Amino acid sequence: MTMTLKSTFAALLAAAMTTAGAQEEIKIGACQPITGRFAFAGGQLNAGLGDSIAFANEQGIVKGKKLTYFFEDTGYDTEKAVASFKKMMAQQNPAIMYGESTGQGKAITPELNSKYKIMYGSTSFSSELADPTTHPYSFVSGPTYSDQFGILLQYIAKGAAKGVRPKVAFFYSDTEFGKDPIAWGKQRAAELGIDVVAEVVAKVGAVDVTTEVLNLKKAKPDFVIFQGFVMAPIPEVIRAARDHGLKTTFMSTFWSMDKGIIEKLGEDAEGYMGVNPYGYYYEDTPAMNAMRKYNERVHPAEAKYRPNSYIQGWFTGMVYVEALRRTVAAGKPVTGDNLMAALATIKDWDTNGITGKVTFVNNKAAVGRVYRANVAKGIFEPASDWIYVK
Amino acid sequence: MLIGNYKVSYAADQAIFRTPASRAWLWVLLGVAVAFPFVAGDYFLYLANLVGIFTIAALGLNILTGFTGQISLGHAAFVGVGAYATAIAATRLGLPFWLAVPAGGLAACLAGALVGTPSLRIKGLYLAIATLAAQVILEWVFTNWTGMTGGIRGINVAPAGLWGFEFDTDRRVYFLVAGLAAFHTWAAANLFRTRVGRAFIAVRDRDISAELMGIDLFRTKISAFMISSYYAGIAGGLWVYFAKVVTPESFPLSLSIQFLAMIIVGGLGSIKGTLFGAVFVTLVPEGLRAVVQGATAYSPDAMSWLAPMKDIVFGAMIVGFLVFEPHGLAEIWNRIRRFFWLWPFPK
Repeated sequence: MTMTLKSTFAALLAAAMTTAGAQEEIKIGACQPITGRFAFAGGQLNAGLGDSIAFANEQGIVKGKKLTYFFEDTGYDTEKAVASFKKMMAQQNPAIMYGESTGQGKAITPELNSKYKIMYGSTSFSSELADPTTHPYSFVSGPTYSDQFGILLQYIAKGAAKGVRPKVAFFYSDTEFGKDPIAWGKQRAAELGIDVVAEVVAKVGAVDVTTEVLNLKKAKPDFVIFQGFVMAPIPEVIRAARDHGLKTTFMSTFWSMDKGIIEKLGEDAEGYMGVNPYGYYYEDTPAMNAMRKYNERVHPAEAKYRPNSYIQGWFTGMVYVEALRRTVAAGKPVTGDNLMAALATIKDWDTNGITGKVTFVNNKAAVGRVYRANVAKGIFEPASDWIYVK
Repeated sequence: MLIGNYKVSYAADQAIFRTPASRAWLWVLLGVAVAFPFVAGDYFLYLANLVGIFTIAALGLNILTGFTGQISLGHAAFVGVGAYATAIAATRLGLPFWLAVPAGGLAACLAGALVGTPSLRIKGLYLAIATLAAQVILEWVFTNWTGMTGGIRGINVAPAGLWGFEFDTDRRVYFLVAGLAAFHTWAAANLFRTRVGRAFIAVRDRDISAELMGIDLFRTKISAFMISSYYAGIAGGLWVYFAKVVTPESFPLSLSIQFLAMIIVGGLGSIKGTLFGAVFVTLVPEGLRAVVQGATAYSPDAMSWLAPMKDIVFGAMIVGFLVFEPHGLAEIWNRIRRFFWLWPFPK
């Protein structure tokens, strides 16, 4: 009798403590490429992810839980990133992790699947990491590069005159980042009635691009899609192509779509296009307005403009929070399996303008919008509505 | 206290352990190495494995560069050849790890023999450029020979297994890495007590005199390349079972430079120095990162300017070591040891 009384009392006490007492903490860790080759984005990715989580705490989105964010710099080095991942797992035991690169995602997969079993998001848009059969715990916070190619090709096909087969060239780097969507791009182009007339491979950061541009000149494509570069040699290629009198439209995927490239290109940016999975910081949408307001309050020095990498970090944070919210609301424990199951239930989720309607299929949200550079204003403006691909 | 070191035979002069004390210390070190995985966490085991694999690779480079005097900028590519050969042997041929890893060593050894051929005609910086070419060509092959190497996505490999025991965690892989690292260190230390090893040193010190003494230069240089690449290949094979994936981006030129940094910081032509170098180059940046991380607890914004600082500090440390002790960490170690031989008496 006393035993049951005691245990009832204990249960009551425990219940009282969870509702009235200290909020339970959920830890989110990140390996961020703040220094090294990826530093141009790393600091902003980190700021975006951290701010997004802090913002969710302020709004109290995950009821009764306090989210804490911590990170380490990895210098964009796979070995250091894996070491850092293991250290954080051992010391802090976070419920969710964020990774710095495709390489890190691949390197930790065996242990993520067999040992850690936590939700894992990253900077990567690699198609490989969005395969739930081999990578059940990782997801891509947006469309993969293949999806981004699909969005661009769909846009090109739709804009083509009847009976005309648009001619496209793929211009990519000899890296994983560069080659990732090429095979799918060729397949998808054939399906949409687009001819891939040239494939040009160049080094990241190349300066002399004469041969490559001559190849383009021979093939006379209507569109050139860049993949696997961030900045150089994109401006060099566009400039040389204009010098040769090419009337091609140049397009890019996410990493080459920040407004910095318009400044770099100057007048040659006229007509430059590309796909961005997210909206721009300066857009007048409820979510972007809230993000700007938050920045004005918390980081007044940087509130004027935030690059796309910041938005990517922010959106990834939103996905984490949404998966947590759904898991906690369903009364389930916060485990990797439950979080990934919650992720799969995200359907037509309205982000109020961070991106289009978000639906997670195969651990990715295949949505994006085509933007065109406005040289006079120095910004990108939408050239299409949100495009959804499978 | 050691007051003298009197040797009465060539065998004594060649001995690796000059005193009973140094032999005893080795046993202590071995004891620590065996006890380590039972007390260390995942993070430290991961780092230890990294150090072990890098030690084997750096030993290979030290045999070639430090002991034979042939500079190589392509060492990372040989590690890559070993890694790919091991991965292909394991996945395509289904070989167990105890055959696949030596297969990696063998493949790298053959690649090394090929790349070493020009060393008969060219030396010094010219040879460095020739080996740099090997690095670039091999990297290109890793990326573009899609049918064999899996292209940019690389090859995923299952953990090593032995009689149903799987080396799937860092703790288990540690025994594999530590065992092989110990064996290869022992083999390298003994190599220079043989005719082949002494020939290497003779070639390094003066190749023409070596030839006059009857050493076949070409054969010696090629064997140095082969042994060196074999070590690289074994490191590559272990890498595969450690990382469980091999991609072309794992073996860049910067890794070759890192191996060179290890042997230069540790001590060219010193086995002990190679160990010090591998430990230093792998662990010091980690330590600096921990310091930076600690500092951010006090000031969260410190990361943005402290993070690049660690690279500067690391670079300055390397320059400092080289200025104050050009013979590397191994010599610093020797000096400390000599100090304690006479301690507490002054010199």
